[in-house]
Amino acid sequence: METGQKMRGADAVIKVLAAHGVTTVFGYPGGAIMPIYDALYGHPVEHLLSRHEQGAAFAAVGYARASGKTGVCFATSGPGATNLITSLSDALLDSVPVVAITGQVSTAVIGTDAFQEIDVLGMSLSCTKHSFMVTDINELIPTLYKAFEIAASGRPGPVLVDIPKDIQIAELEYKTPLLTVNEEPEPEVSAIEAAGELLQQAKKPILYVGGGVGMAGAVDHLRQFIDKTGMPSVATLKGLGAIEHGTKGYLGMLGMHGGKAANLAVQACDLLIVVGARFDDRVTGRLATFAGNAKVLHLDIDIAEINKLRQADVAISADLRQVLPALSASLESKSLELGQWQLEVEELYREHQWDYQHPGDLIYAPAMLRRLANKLPEDSVVSCDVGQHQMWVAQHMWFRRPEDHLSSAGLGTMGFGLPAAIGAQVARPDATVVTVSGDGSFMMNVQELTTIKRRKLPVKILLIDNQKLGMVKQWQQLFFEQRYSETDLSDNPDFVLMASAFDIPGRTIHRAEEVEAALDEMLSTPGPFMLHVAIDDAFNVWPLVPPGACNSDMMDQMEKQT
Amino acid sequence: MMHSVELTLKQQPEVLERVLRVTRHRGFTITELTMTVSQDSTLKVNFDVQSERVIELLTHQLTKLFDVLDCQVITSSAAQAEAEISAMASA
Repeated sequence: METGQKMRGADAVIKVLAAHGVTTVFGYPGGAIMPIYDALYGHPVEHLLSRHEQGAAFAAVGYARASGKTGVCFATSGPGATNLITSLSDALLDSVPVVAITGQVSTAVIGTDAFQEIDVLGMSLSCTKHSFMVTDINELIPTLYKAFEIAASGRPGPVLVDIPKDIQIAELEYKTPLLTVNEEPEPEVSAIEAAGELLQQAKKPILYVGGGVGMAGAVDHLRQFIDKTGMPSVATLKGLGAIEHGTKGYLGMLGMHGGKAANLAVQACDLLIVVGARFDDRVTGRLATFAGNAKVLHLDIDIAEINKLRQADVAISADLRQVLPALSASLESKSLELGQWQLEVEELYREHQWDYQHPGDLIYAPAMLRRLANKLPEDSVVSCDVGQHQMWVAQHMWFRRPEDHLSSAGLGTMGFGLPAAIGAQVARPDATVVTVSGDGSFMMNVQELTTIKRRKLPVKILLIDNQKLGMVKQWQQLFFEQRYSETDLSDNPDFVLMASAFDIPGRTIHRAEEVEAALDEMLSTPGPFMLHVAIDDAFNVWPLVPPGACNSDMMDQMEKQT
Repeated sequence: MMHSVELTLKQQPEVLERVLRVTRHRGFTITELTMTVSQDSTLKVNFDVQSERVIELLTHQLTKLFDVLDCQVITSSAAQAEAEISAMASA
């Protein structure tokens, strides 16, 4: 072991972060974490002050998702820690590597209901991949090293380290621990052979690509597999960007708000090749009828996802960066007969193109988002909130890489977009970062406008306003007899005026003819900008697979809402 | 179905909470549980669970816990489960 100088536990925390290449921490100080903030003072590891711990942790999530690195956030004990819980849950469901460090009351008073004491370790059990409470100063450094290893390895996820105040101020001698790093499992030859046989027998195979591809760093491997095999493909919300739009046979997003071609192709396939995806209910619709005639080849690093919801005919739980090339190699001497199926898929693609024609002067959000996608430079990140705008982004904006599209998929957390955009902008300072939000979601973490102001971050805010909680109201319209309970937001604030209070310029548009110039103004204005867009509120998200229905039973209609 | 599961755990203060939480959340009811501290400072936990779900849905999740060193399904019995349910109903 390397030996070093004596220091406080708090100083060791910052030193461990620096040793892991952490350059920015997102957080909010408070009583029980003051020694750690004292250690930060003047240190090269920079700290970005959020205005709510949920915002700090979402910024860490955005940082991680946009960069592929582990995001780090700090919070104090009690309310600071409880405010992290939503963001950590989000990171757990979307498999995002985050290390959260919380201050805790001193060990001597834990369990006495001390000021700002809550059982953070207990709370963390259901919303983290793993968690620790450090009660021995000698365990502090090894624990932090383990936290980083656990967060990023296997199926990534959030790890929380709760550090009592007396541990932060106790003295230790800094030693770099020797940890054994677990290698990701390699695929077994027999499993690759079995998968190859399934592929060869299939007449209508299709790739169902999830977020696991991006998290595994296997985007290029997947694209090479597709290049080689000509395999048709669809993607989940988190899988968007893994396959470039325009790739032959790629049909975009499947599921509840997926494209018709994507859903119909999956329903018609005879082999479903699941790559880093998990049969989420928003993807499958009625599970029993999802790809009902297909065999399943399931590729996922997390063995707990295998056979969880759908029995696999062949499953490989290993590193996708090894599985996909091995699968390609196993097909070297074999020929796949996909010609007829590729023609069918092409026909579905042609038949179910998106239609951006929208009569009238009002702004049609899907067409506007399509225009925005065309205008964005190559190095761009789009961070969404949750609701109708989120689905329009997924349907109508095309992404070059998964890390260019940040969307709260598993937890569906309103308030994700703005702080995640802040984290993405810090991770990729030269990128154009746009948060596309809705008038409901935006108010959930609106305090983070101050974070943009403080750091003069050039985040662009595209606020799509239909003066309602659009997705909930759509369901009330369709499934709750138009009883619009608490979904009217016609008393929204003046968003542009509010942005100006944070030194963020902006403008409001109402008419379709204003869209082009307004998007250009947003993207060309140096620094942050808010484009507030009052859209045609009559339009809902289509298509829609009703809850509990089969994915081939998509609703697709335009109705004037009352 | 009723299943008997044997776990070997790292001795951490919260390890039993982790196991119980996962077991409940994944849809399994514990009907019996014993815990002993081994000489090598690990914990042995034996418990019976019943559920309509297949036991792998639980064991895969338990195996993912970092403080679970080993997880074995000792027995699985439909008849035992029916007897348990019957006993609970008449109680």
